[in-house]
Parts: sequence; structure tokens; C-alpha cells
Amino acid sequence: MNDRRQDSLDRLLANLPRDIVPPGDLWPAVAARLTRKPRYAPPMALAAAIAMVAAGLASFVTWAVLQGRSVPPVVQAAAVSRSFDDLRDPKYVLARDSIEKTFRERLALLEPATRAKIESSLAIIQKAHDDIRKALASDPQSPVLQQLWESTWHDEFDLYDRVVQATQPTMTRI
Amino acid sequence: MIQALQRVLTMDSSSEPSDTIAAAAAGDTAAFERLYRQFSPRVYGLCLRLTGQREAAEDCTQESFVAAWRGLGRFERRSRFSTWLHKIAVNCVLSRRKGLRAEYEVAEPALGLPDRADPGTGAPPLDVERAIAKLPDGARHVLVLVGIYGYSHAQAAGTLGIAEGTCKAQLHRARQLLAATLGLEE
Repeated sequence: MNDRRQDSLDRLLANLPRDIVPPGDLWPAVAARLTRKPRYAPPMALAAAIAMVAAGLASFVTWAVLQGRSVPPVVQAAAVSRSFDDLRDPKYVLARDSIEKTFRERLALLEPATRAKIESSLAIIQKAHDDIRKALASDPQSPVLQQLWESTWHDEFDLYDRVVQATQPTMTRI
Repeated sequence: MIQALQRVLTMDSSSEPSDTIAAAAAGDTAAFERLYRQFSPRVYGLCLRLTGQREAAEDCTQESFVAAWRGLGRFERRSRFSTWLHKIAVNCVLSRRKGLRAEYEVAEPALGLPDRADPGTGAPPLDVERAIAKLPDGARHVLVLVGIYGYSHAQAAGTLGIAEGTCKAQLHRARQLLAATLGLEE
């Protein structure tokens, strides 16, 4: 662009007003939103919800890491969705402990990078589980918190199950 | 010339009403309305030019002030209030950008701007604002921030989330397109 053309353009831009008054008064609409009370969100429940999202993401990461390993769609009896109260059933706890033990053994067979990702996901899920448990302590009857707690429990179990299933066929380092 | 413009804009003496800002930060809506009255024309102008659409600009202006109200408690005065507010406005525009792309594409032809002015007619340049609105998003954003509102390339690049080199290239492109659309003499 030559100087003359550039100067013409600069002049045009310089003459533009930087302030433009909105055609209508926008303040009433803004003010209406300022005076509206923020939605009540109990801090613990909010923290629990955030923890739940983190757990979900962690679960997804695990799924992604183990993708392509021909995981059969096997869902063990213990993984079947259960109610909040069922999760305290001694039989369920025993089954869960058993698969956790297998998970720990199989985890050692994985490549260090894969193992690290899974351990990181597990830590996030367990942190979410703990956060929600603390929230439940202050509001034990909350159906939302009970549901969140149950979900993280399943996420953790699901992670164990995926690793166990993914390492089932060969039992070799993958 | 651009540098000269930037100097003028840097010296912009729009006052920073620190007492009013403090009162608004403490929850005084009347004080916040005073801030709105003082700063909304600049915010609206910025939004209008960045979006190229009146309705979108109105929405973004409202969103910006609501976001500012919510964030005032965290405003640390390390920058000017106006700078902070403008950054919120730019972010509001950018966050709407994807959703509005289809509307831009529909709205642009409706402006009725020809691609080029006919230099043989001796007609006055086409309306500059409409020509700016017709620029592609990336070029328009940089032209508005750097060419009109006096941002440095570094500031504009940081605000728009692009490299400084990209910012310079977009400004060059915007100026070329604008000059061609306005039929400025070669």
C-alpha cells in the first residue's frame, strides 16, 4: 500500500468515534441481572459436583487409554448398578476388594506411561469420592450427594474392571 | 500514523473514578450504574465494531457489564478499570464468535455493500463502518483493536489469543481489504 493510500485510510480510521452510545438504554436489562440473587449452591455440594465432573473425566481418560485393546463388554456382577445402600453390602464390598486386588496385580503388567495415566485417573476418582463423602457427612440425607457418591464408587470400580479386562487375554506387558 | 494514533489514545483522559469503582465493588448498584453510564459507549463501540452487528453488540455490552459486576471484587487495580472492562468485552465477543458465525454469513450480504467502490464515479468513499463490518472476523478484530482502539500488537495478540506476527499480518490484510472496498486511490 502506498503512502498516500495509507494516509487516506489512517485519516478515515482516526475520524471514527471510539464511543458509540447504544441505540437503546441497556442499563435496565443489566440492572435486572445485578439484583437477581445468585442461585443457592451449598459449598460442599458444589465442591462435590465439581469432584464428580473430575471423576467422570478421569474415567473417560482411562477408557481412552485402554481403547483399542479389544475389551470385551463384560460387566461383572459386582459392577452392576446398585443403590446407595447396596454399596455397603458386605458381599458387594468383598467382591469389590477382590477385583481391586486383581487390578493392582494387573496394573503392574502395563507400560509405565499407561500405568501412570491410570494411576492418575484413579487418584482423581478417589479424591472426588473422598470430597463427596465429606459433603455427605454434613448432609447425609441429600439424594444428590448420595447419587454422586454412588457414581464415583462405580467410576472407581469401572476403572478396575477395565484394567482387569484389558489385561485378561495375554497377561503380558502391553 | 498508527503509532501517532496509539499515542493519542494512550493519552485518553477518560478518568478512572476510583471511589465509584470501590463503591461498586462493595455492592453499590447505583455506583455501578454510574460506571455503566461512563463506560458503556466505549464498550458498545468496541463490541459493535468487533461483532459487526448491532444486536450482538448490545448483548455483548450487557454481558460485559454483568461479568464486570461479578468480577469487580477481584479487580486488583493493577490495570486501569477501562482496560480491564474492555478485555472483558473482547472476551464476551470472542466467546460468542462461533455461535454467531452463521449469522455473520447471512447478515453480510444484507448490508448491500459492493465488493469494491467504482473509482471512476468520483463518488465519496463507502461508509467506513460498513466496510469494517464486512471484513473477515480475524482481520476485523485486529483492525478494530489496533487500528481504532489503539492496542499495541502485543496487547491485541494477547487479547485475541494469536501470535504477534499473525496480528501484524491480519492488520495488513485488513487495511488492504478496507482500502480496496473503500476505493482508495492506489
